[in-house]
Amino acid sequence: MFETTNLTEWLIRHGVSQAVLEILISICIVATIVSITRYVVGNRSYGIYAPIVLAIAYSYTGLRYGLTITFVVVLTSLLSYSVLRRIRMHYITRIATNYTILSIVLLAFLVFVHYYGLGLENMSNIPPLAFISIAILSDFFIKQFVKKSLKTSMATLLGTVAIAIIGWFVITRTLVSDFVLTNLWIIPALTLVNIFLGTFKGLRFKDYFRFRFNTKEDDK
Amino acid sequence: MINRVVKMNKEILGLNRRNQEYVRPYNPPSAKVIADNKILTKRVLKKELIQTPEVYKLIRTKKQLEFLDWESLPKSFVIKPNKGTGGSGIIIFYGKTRGKLEWIRPNGTVMNKRDILLHIENILEGRFSMDSRNDIAIIEERIKTDSLLKQYSYKGVPDLRIICFNLVPVMAMLRLPTKRSNGTANLHSGAICTGIDIGTGITTYSMQMKKNPLFSDTYEMVDSTMDLKNNKPLSGIQIPNWNNILTIALKCQKVSGLGYIGVDIALDAEKGPVVFEINARPGLGIQVANQAGLKWRLEKIKDIKVKSINHGIRISKNLFGGEVEESIEAISGRKVLNITEKVYIYDKKTDLSKIKRGTKIKREYIKAFMDTGILTSRIDAKLANRIGYIKAHKDFTKYNTPSRFDSLKDAQDYIDKHEKEIISSTDIKRLAKIVEEGEIRVRPVFNIPIKISDNIEITEFVSTQSSENPYLLTIGRNDLKGYLIDTSGTF
Repeated sequence: MFETTNLTEWLIRHGVSQAVLEILISICIVATIVSITRYVVGNRSYGIYAPIVLAIAYSYTGLRYGLTITFVVVLTSLLSYSVLRRIRMHYITRIATNYTILSIVLLAFLVFVHYYGLGLENMSNIPPLAFISIAILSDFFIKQFVKKSLKTSMATLLGTVAIAIIGWFVITRTLVSDFVLTNLWIIPALTLVNIFLGTFKGLRFKDYFRFRFNTKEDDK
Repeated sequence: MINRVVKMNKEILGLNRRNQEYVRPYNPPSAKVIADNKILTKRVLKKELIQTPEVYKLIRTKKQLEFLDWESLPKSFVIKPNKGTGGSGIIIFYGKTRGKLEWIRPNGTVMNKRDILLHIENILEGRFSMDSRNDIAIIEERIKTDSLLKQYSYKGVPDLRIICFNLVPVMAMLRLPTKRSNGTANLHSGAICTGIDIGTGITTYSMQMKKNPLFSDTYEMVDSTMDLKNNKPLSGIQIPNWNNILTIALKCQKVSGLGYIGVDIALDAEKGPVVFEINARPGLGIQVANQAGLKWRLEKIKDIKVKSINHGIRISKNLFGGEVEESIEAISGRKVLNITEKVYIYDKKTDLSKIKRGTKIKREYIKAFMDTGILTSRIDAKLANRIGYIKAHKDFTKYNTPSRFDSLKDAQDYIDKHEKEIISSTDIKRLAKIVEEGEIRVRPVFNIPIKISDNIEITEFVSTQSSENPYLLTIGRNDLKGYLIDTSGTF
């Protein structure tokens, strides 16, 4: 393939920082991963926004820190909402209360980590935006928990985190980031992949399990 | 493996294809708006005189909720969001506490005025609505389930889902609430889905979603109802008013403008068929219930010009009735059998070539029941003994096969373990697991020549000991391929 180093350099000279360029390419890559996992595999996720933001947040926090924060966010949301749903109150106020509890728990968690380490000594160096990006997972989680069920929301959460981990893995490989930075044709190529996926009519991987009819014998 | 994947791709309709080839091109946005709005649906269906649950109150604003006349609410009713999806936000009340503003839910819990107010406020705030925007709360009548289907349902209201395309009913299933589904007919919550033979309206296979399917929505086969005082086999139930139900489903399609539609119909004890809702993106679980793919069926009728509702029903019954997919090309030449038909059955040692030559052979003339609900034909053990299988039965008894099994899996395990040994020393062809008188049993299978209509064939028969079946012979689907069953004189 042809390299586009000159185009990259031109962009960087004309107001696009390398960090922004990397993030924009990351968005394209993770968005394509979401498309593939949705329409080819049949994986459930909280839309496309949550896995993209989560994958990019993990790339800033590191997977260990990112997953720890995710775990704290989900566990706190689950517990606080389980208690709050027993109290007669309006929906939005319940969600808002959930956020305030989440903030308190996260603060307490940071202090706890400061004192006891837990192998997470660099927690205080995590960029606040990455922190917030993971915390918004609470909203997606609770919304689905309320509308559907805990089981569905947990399954979707696992799907979302799984995609985010795959996305994190791909975008944090030096080999990948070096390659895409000097081969910007990858962006239109990913556009074509997504257009193809958009017209894909075949069965999803999960459908093969779902519609595995057992008509082998059986007198009923 | 590759063959299986190719075969599945040919027959099964997946979400990708459903959306691209059927929902988008055949369901215009104006029609989707009707399907996604329960109030609008009721209005549109009313024009065609299609019955829907009666609306008691519509609450659009908190002000209206403030002035709701609680005393005027009946003992039993349903609250649902106008734009809800997947049954979320629906609450059913079965009764009222005497002298109090408290209503009782199917699981026995009680909701008072404050609880209900809060729930309605949540509906108004859009907590359950498709687009999370403000919604309308509907308070409507509770369907009182028809006595036949009530026997198979745990508390809630069972409903029929019929998928229609191009004015032809394509596939149907019955959804039965269970204890696990908390009285709802939602398959994801654990309701049982039972396939229906579209030709006769008789139930076939029954499936239930496995618990905690984190990876995939996988189902397992079930034989009978659960959690009821008297659990009953689910196969072979005749849905009453079947033709009328198909007609209603097609009327819904016609009036809504949806080319590809899922119609949910409940059977009310007094009103008869009542349309719950119409769906512009019906789920695909119906394929699991019927153990058959939708794709093939939809492609078959894509280009047919359907002249009327009756024409659509005739096409559907001819093409998809009696589970005759494999022999569809032979439809025009198929023979019609009555639901009970007299057949000849020949002795054990009969030489098939002698029958065909017309030599006089010992035979019995028996009234047989044609049952599309079972796969393999069945013979009463007494009749089998009469035609020469006494020794085979005695040999089978020697193996002390348990008289009942707890599950189909246990029965299959027993067959896998003992079948070779049993068939090696007896006249038994194989062993089969069957559900008989509500129990799972393993019974011997014999090869017996019979003559149905003018065809003489060696047929597999499972020997049964049912005291409930008045027929000594029951002919199953395996041996009914190529026939049309006329049920008109029976039901």
